[in-house]
Amino acid sequence: MNVLFGSPALHALVLGVGIVSALLGVTSYFIWFERKFAGRMQSRIGPKHVGPYGLLQPIADAFKLLIKADITPDTADRALFNLAPLLAVCVALLSLAVLPLASGLVIADLDVGVLFFLAAGALTVVPTWMAGWGSNNKYALLGGMRAIAQSVAYGVPLVLAALVPVILSGSMKLSDIVAAQAGGHWFALWPPGPGLGAGVLFVLASLAEGNRIPFDIPEAESELVSGISTEYTGMKFGMFYLGEYVHSLVVAALFVTLFLGGYDGPGPDVLALQLLWFVLKVSLVSVLLLWVRWSYVRLRSDQLMTLCWKYLLPSGLLLVAASAVWVWWTEQGGSR
Amino acid sequence: MANLIFYLMAALAVVAALGVVAARNPIMSILALLGSFFALAAIYLVSGFQTLAALQILVYAGAILVLFLFVIMLLNLANETKLERIDLAMFHGRKAVWTFLIAGALLGISAFAALAIVPAAGDAPALPERGIDELQPLADAMFSRYLLPFELVSVLLLATAVAVLVLAKRNRGPLNLDQGGEST
Repeated sequence: MNVLFGSPALHALVLGVGIVSALLGVTSYFIWFERKFAGRMQSRIGPKHVGPYGLLQPIADAFKLLIKADITPDTADRALFNLAPLLAVCVALLSLAVLPLASGLVIADLDVGVLFFLAAGALTVVPTWMAGWGSNNKYALLGGMRAIAQSVAYGVPLVLAALVPVILSGSMKLSDIVAAQAGGHWFALWPPGPGLGAGVLFVLASLAEGNRIPFDIPEAESELVSGISTEYTGMKFGMFYLGEYVHSLVVAALFVTLFLGGYDGPGPDVLALQLLWFVLKVSLVSVLLLWVRWSYVRLRSDQLMTLCWKYLLPSGLLLVAASAVWVWWTEQGGSR
Repeated sequence: MANLIFYLMAALAVVAALGVVAARNPIMSILALLGSFFALAAIYLVSGFQTLAALQILVYAGAILVLFLFVIMLLNLANETKLERIDLAMFHGRKAVWTFLIAGALLGISAFAALAIVPAAGDAPALPERGIDELQPLADAMFSRYLLPFELVSVLLLATAVAVLVLAKRNRGPLNLDQGGEST
């Protein structure tokens, strides 16, 4: 394996600590950006009192969350209740391990990278359910049950969507998938159809798995108070949000890696330039996701299930078949 | 180091598996199951099977566990939690003989098929040189050489599913009017 610092263990440690701390910093300012963005969309100004343009707001928020009282309900299952927020953040961070930020800049370039992040994504339901059950609150429990139903349903289209780049590139290694798209042959653009369709499917299924609007049914503050996080206070409450935002950034990054060529872009193959392209693309996709988030209303549970089983699942199967046919067809053309 | 992790994880897997059976609360039982899945995945990783470890987490911790949770939390199983004693009648009579015969035959067929397909040592390299960690050799092995055992195992799983269905239906009865319409 390609390592930057001596031994693989040191490489993983340095990169892991670096990427995670960078991402946590980025996440808090992503939240600031989202509040500004949402404000503009709703003809408001957004945060403006703490620092210039409200730039110190994330720090003030974090401090506020830290000094708030930490309440555990008497009837709660203490172990599950306290473990859930921690796990929510950890699980969201897991996928970062296989994400190539630039050529060679990846914590662990696994042969089964795609499988790894699918597995990590499938785990997001565990902390959600722990919180729902552990809180011993009817709203939290309802939220947890909704999360489970949603996760069963949306895992399938997510796997199908991720399968399309795997078929097109012939590898499950994320660096190979990026390499297969080098020189602007991004899967979202070429071949026309399967790549873009799978990209849309991937984003929808990931949003549903991460419980983001318009799929935030487990939280549903208009029906379930705050769903799974009803009983949480202070930083534990904050950690669920941290996990959710980290998850949405990771989804954007994975979308860029699988469908938008990852760190591929015009210019020489220098580490800094590759990193710049990657960050630019991820920012663009994140803004697009925010746009979706603040434009649509929450779906009802039955609408969510209809969308998944009647539309996303068949189209996912169709896209997988189409990309397989494409690969077969190009191979036939190449051999003649 | 790898040995230490292996023994630690093996012990954890056994303890967690015992916890699954021993826990009084079905939710705790599921949590123990999750622990056992992870211990097993760690053992796969230590042994160098990345693919198997990732699949273990994706399929078991992701799908199977969620399915169990789904069944426990969304279906009304409150009356089924108590098993006072093991009924000895289950192990007597003609039905029991048939049960053992069929189960034994199924197991025997699977074992025979698996053994018959695997060639004697030295006949041919049964596994690719670099192990079954890479996807291509894994797929090649699974869908050519070991196709029959692979399919037989899935038939066994199907038989289990049918058996569970039959048992669950019989337990409930066709029309359960005694419990005031709570048969669902």
